[in-house]
Amino acid sequence: MATNQPKQGSENDDCSFLPLVHDVIKCMDKDSQDVHQELVKFKTRIQEAREQIGAMPGIDKSLSEQQHELETLREQVHTKNQLLQKYKSLCMFEVPKAS
Amino acid sequence: MAVRLSLASTWRAARPSKEMLPHTMTDPPPNRELIEMLALSRSQKLPQGGEDTQILELLVQRDREFQELMRVAQEQGKVHQEMQVLEKEVEKRDCDIQQLQKQLKEAEHILATAVYQAKEKLKSIDKARKGSISSEEIIKYAHRISASNAVCAPLNWVPGDPRRPYPTDLEMRSGMLGHMSNLPTNGVNGHLPGDALAAGRLPDVLTPQYPWQSSDVSVGMLPPHHGNDFGLEPPGHNKENEDDVEAMSTDSSSSSSDSD
Repeated sequence: MATNQPKQGSENDDCSFLPLVHDVIKCMDKDSQDVHQELVKFKTRIQEAREQIGAMPGIDKSLSEQQHELETLREQVHTKNQLLQKYKSLCMFEVPKAS
Repeated sequence: MAVRLSLASTWRAARPSKEMLPHTMTDPPPNRELIEMLALSRSQKLPQGGEDTQILELLVQRDREFQELMRVAQEQGKVHQEMQVLEKEVEKRDCDIQQLQKQLKEAEHILATAVYQAKEKLKSIDKARKGSISSEEIIKYAHRISASNAVCAPLNWVPGDPRRPYPTDLEMRSGMLGHMSNLPTNGVNGHLPGDALAAGRLPDVLTPQYPWQSSDVSVGMLPPHHGNDFGLEPPGHNKENEDDVEAMSTDSSSSSSDSD
């Protein structure tokens, strides 16, 4: 996955919790005093991710619903553009020719 | 595992990302006991019936799902921005349509008013054409009205002059109605005062000096019919009256007052 999507490497690092879990396990292996700190860091990261998810716009609906709404809005804009073009260019009154 | 993955992906596609993301983060809950067990299994290097392996695999899978959902959430964020732009476009188009609607309504109102007024004018034109009168007749009628001193006093009128712009009592008695009311039961030699006037024997004092008290009236001529007026000269019409009429049309003297 990392080789196929190199551009998303930095994003994966931000989203992935595995490095933090690995750090905690390593601290436990070494029986160091930093285990608690690593766990706190892990918890903080999860909390930040929750806050980040809560602030993200547009995730109230599923992707399919959002795509459907997007198509509907595009159709609306297209239809209204056509209507406006039609009514602005339409000559409703026949001007009588001077005889 | 594959079935579980396919079911999970189907379920995930139908659910909003806002619900799925916390779910992947907390299932299984990454608590201290789980990590301790993993660390212990690593340090002991003892096979634990594959349980720690399963937990690790589950952890990796959850991490993968979480990353995938975050990617989808970011895409949805971009789509949401595009939707906001489109919504603004739609609002702008709606405003334009409403503006056009107002202008159309205003134009329709103006045109309806103009058409109504034009129709009324056409009706008036048709009505005028049906009841058309020649200007010569109207001028003659106006001349006849003004010739009787009804619209303006004569130039030589002074206070004390018995002449009035309306028929006086004496004139009424000397006219046809007066003659009809004075039947032959009273009077001199079987003649009525009206008859005396009709015969031209009324004293000059009582004889009104008006343009219409002419020889035509003295012979008992009927008042000229209204329909034949325009073709005849008005009785008593003479040059003096013509001058009076011309002067009266521009005269702005005060109106006469009753002598009584």
